Amino acid sequence: MRILLALWAKEWLALSRDVHGLAVLFVLPAAFIVIMSLALSDVFRDGAQRQVVFAVLAAGGPNVSQALADDLAGGGFTPTAAPDSEAAAREQVRKGRPALVLLVPEKFGADPSAKLKLLADPTLPPMQIAAFLQRLQGATLGVKTSSPPLDLEVVGNPRGGRPSSVQQNVPAWLIFGMFFVVMPMSALFIVERRDGTLARLVSQRVPFPMLLAGKVGPFFVINLAQAVLMLAAGRTLVSWLGGETLVLPGRWDLLAVVTASTSLAAIGWGLLVAVASRTLEQATVIGAVGNVLAAALGGIMVPRFVMPPSMQAWAELSPMAWALDGFHAVILRQGSGADIAVPCLKLLALAAVLLAAAFWLHQRRRS
Amino acid sequence: MLRVERLSYRYPGGDEEVLHELSIEVPSGGIYGLLGPNGAGKTTLISIIAGQLRAPSDKVTVDGMPLDELHRREPASLGLVPQEFAFYPMLTCAENLRFFAAVQGLGGARLRERVEAVASFARIEGVMRRRAGELSGGLRRRLNLAIGLLTEPRVLLLDEPTVGVDPQSRSFLLESIRGLAAAGRIIIYTSHYMEEVEAICDHVAIIDAGRVLRQGALAELLRDDAAVVTVRQGRSLEQLFMHLTNRSLRD
Repeated sequence: MRILLALWAKEWLALSRDVHGLAVLFVLPAAFIVIMSLALSDVFRDGAQRQVVFAVLAAGGPNVSQALADDLAGGGFTPTAAPDSEAAAREQVRKGRPALVLLVPEKFGADPSAKLKLLADPTLPPMQIAAFLQRLQGATLGVKTSSPPLDLEVVGNPRGGRPSSVQQNVPAWLIFGMFFVVMPMSALFIVERRDGTLARLVSQRVPFPMLLAGKVGPFFVINLAQAVLMLAAGRTLVSWLGGETLVLPGRWDLLAVVTASTSLAAIGWGLLVAVASRTLEQATVIGAVGNVLAAALGGIMVPRFVMPPSMQAWAELSPMAWALDGFHAVILRQGSGADIAVPCLKLLALAAVLLAAAFWLHQRRRS
Repeated sequence: MLRVERLSYRYPGGDEEVLHELSIEVPSGGIYGLLGPNGAGKTTLISIIAGQLRAPSDKVTVDGMPLDELHRREPASLGLVPQEFAFYPMLTCAENLRFFAAVQGLGGARLRERVEAVASFARIEGVMRRRAGELSGGLRRRLNLAIGLLTEPRVLLLDEPTVGVDPQSRSFLLESIRGLAAAGRIIIYTSHYMEEVEAICDHVAIIDAGRVLRQGALAELLRDDAAVVTVRQGRSLEQLFMHLTNRSLRD
């Protein structure tokens, strides 16, 4: 334990004297949060040109569902297969796919008391829900001459929130900033290796897993500090500059789990780049380019909902997309532990694989 | 005694062996000079003894104990002073010494005592609060040496510890290193400066291309090697070295 504490203390001292590294970790994401939240606020307010996936679950059977779905399709709305039951529909909408499910009761059209029910993803802008209702009115004119009776239920968010620019950009650029620990982490590691410090530590019988653990602790704390400060920036700085205020989640424990999972994946990535790169230049290129590509693909720079479906499928490959899913499940959908389980497990599995790869690569080079 | 017996080593992915059945015997109580041109295998050998590179454990023994076992039983028994400035430039001298002492298991009063002792030995007490990266070359070398002495190691490996320092600092370092030779301590010293080795080493091995060309007590080597006598009447280690390793330039 004494060795680990010494390694942590050393890492802290080194980090605290690396002004440029700290600036990258804190100033960069904060600047992105402010600039992008303000710059894109109108785009998000108008709902942008977003392809919305919807499904119809009609009590009259799959043929009725399909016919109504075909009538509703178009104008930015894409049909998908109907869920098996209302419970399944509710669960799917809570996860955001599909974003809308129309429930059609047995005697709709014949019985005046039979009401349609529309389950809606809370991240959908109201403008798009209104557009869907207009299409619904058009599609049901053959049955009803007036607006059909309808209950609208927003699933998963009792406050009825919607993703604002700040709610997209704060978690997005926080994740981006968290993954940038790759820069100071790999820089210090490569300097240690280049200057013979690492070799000296190895000759002093400091186990390599301990050296890795010596990096994990301080950067984990850095990532947590980033999360606190970036959420604070979204809460205060953006609104102070004229943007929207970030709505903070009710479940801080879930937010902590998502942040920790993201941090471990980012640290694993940083350690692998540090061990794999032979020079500072290599680490800078691999780390920075890797981060930018993962951010571009994962909906950090361009929100996934404005991407075409094929790109949205590719986006699922980016760890930053998994992290963003986790943050959105907590911040936007006020989700439960079940909602963050999949993204967090993906991130933790990635962290384990990256750490194992870093360890294996180091052992291979040393043998 | 540290004994290396028929040690061969090839780097992972490398085509050629950098050490070929190399054998040396390093007695305790003196300083053993390890000489060789660039690429001879000195640093590889030092790295294997220091545990940075893996080699069959029974090929290197200290007082009959395989190196791996020595590392396991007495993890702080080996001190390395590499040719690089192997410390943290953004930390102060005191922080560096405390850190390297702590990772070797020292703590509390013992840590403070050893940090003070090595700082005094290397005469860096006056710069303990200065960041290591701001020190002159000579002071850096002294800090590098001080770190290697923190645990009072039984085996001390000095890999070109005087590179790039002025004559005053070199003289100080050589005197200090000479003073480290003590009963029971094994010191291996590598250098390209022949006069340094002549000044402080008792025994010498000259290696080239991973093989030992000559080894033994320095005085005996200079006295007995007929080749040196034929080259010049004034016998020097440099002449012996050049004769054995020839004058062709190395990579």
